[in-house]
Amino acid sequence: MSALVEALTNSRIWRSIFRHGWPDNPLDRSLVMTSNIFLHLHPVKVNRKSLKWTYSFGLGVLSVLLFLVLSVTGVLLMFYYAPAVEHAYTDIVELQTQIPFGQLLRNLHRWGAHLMVIVVVLHMARVFYTGAYKPPREFNWIMGVSLLLLTFGASFTGYLLPWDQLAFWAITVGTSVASYAPGLGDQMRQLMIGGPEIGQEALTRFYALHIMVIPALIALITSVHIWRVRKDGGLAANDSEE
Amino acid sequence: MTDLPKKDAFPKDGTKTYSLVELVKRAPTTMIEKGPDNTVFAFPLVALIELLLSLGLGAVLMLMSLARNAPLEEFANPNTTTDPAKAPWYFMGLQEMLEHGHPTLMAVIFPTIMVLFVLAIPYLDNNRQGSGRWFTSERGKKISWYTALYSLVVMPAFILLDTNFPPRELLRGVVPDFIAQVMVPSVIMGIIVLLPVLILWRQKPTAREVMLVLFTLLFTSAIVFTVVGFFFRGPGFELYWPWNMPDGYSPFDNL
Repeated sequence: MSALVEALTNSRIWRSIFRHGWPDNPLDRSLVMTSNIFLHLHPVKVNRKSLKWTYSFGLGVLSVLLFLVLSVTGVLLMFYYAPAVEHAYTDIVELQTQIPFGQLLRNLHRWGAHLMVIVVVLHMARVFYTGAYKPPREFNWIMGVSLLLLTFGASFTGYLLPWDQLAFWAITVGTSVASYAPGLGDQMRQLMIGGPEIGQEALTRFYALHIMVIPALIALITSVHIWRVRKDGGLAANDSEE
Repeated sequence: MTDLPKKDAFPKDGTKTYSLVELVKRAPTTMIEKGPDNTVFAFPLVALIELLLSLGLGAVLMLMSLARNAPLEEFANPNTTTDPAKAPWYFMGLQEMLEHGHPTLMAVIFPTIMVLFVLAIPYLDNNRQGSGRWFTSERGKKISWYTALYSLVVMPAFILLDTNFPPRELLRGVVPDFIAQVMVPSVIMGIIVLLPVLILWRQKPTAREVMLVLFTLLFTSAIVFTVVGFFFRGPGFELYWPWNMPDGYSPFDNL
């Protein structure tokens, strides 16, 4: 067995992918982080203070995990859904009744989305109450607030897609808020929904925003956000005197 | 080659285990000039923590999804309004605010001020001291809890009073609409926000403590308005007890 493992990890294919040895020593434990594009968002070493459970409650990690769950379930939902007003509703009914685990898939996406809004809001509150926005982390606070607003946007645009009464009237009420903006209010609402009423244009726009524009922005800004945490000296807990 | 200095600026000395790497003019990170660090390798500890969090989250989400189905009502019909017609739950605070003043003030101006305030927090309170600790100090903790308590009393009281004795209606025809719908709610909100700040002002607060008051007010009030809008508004957008809604309506239908 160990000969097999040895042969495998010494093979040219393995060594072309992983450019470090088994991470049981300081050098390889550093390399495992710095030579992997996904892991390199982490620091090589972390302060024990920042690992304290009651400091961060893991809310930032949970936000990322929820985004991943929503991305995967979202892509699966796209296989069964067409954003056309004649199709959208029946596609959802079909998904729930005809497709194996279709209802479960939709439930995971729906409850995951609500949970993500809650977790991201709690994450912001945690960062505020621990004073983690203070210099040198001002800009990362701005990135975080942008991510909160994008999370609202992602959830709101997804809310219309089932095209049922709940979706239709929630978005009607929600977008009417835009029309109260002084001066350009009605134009802003028209820009959002592509017409005077919620219809095919609104569904097309919300779909494009929901599956492409907002997730891409969230992925991009989240990368900046996490990278910046490392560049700004890790979690603010490291700076505390305690 | 003759231009090179005779002495190497950074001589390589075989007996030294350190060398000058960089001159720090202005600290870009917080790790400079700190004592011996208290660190561990992120791998595998952090990777394991993340694995545990994903397993826990997966379990919770799966249980939620097995326990309750995502709602699906009838096919969208622009001719039949649902009653109540509610925005998604996280915008119910906004929709609740619409009930208490001019829509432009409540749905556009106040939220814009709130977002700009939240964005400005690190620039208003730019002292590096006291970061990385919950509430920064014992006094900060006290200030936060008192402010939360204050908001939990004042905001529901405001919603109840404003619903039962709406100044917009009582002052209709007495004063211009602008005063009744914009000035009056602005002044009331201004007093509610400024009162705890003024009380704190006499204790010579730090910028951080002022931020604690303002953010706690904002955060707690947002929760109060969202909870009222989501749980307590029933048909006709009237106030009801959540467990006593008419017409078989349940707030949870709107998830």
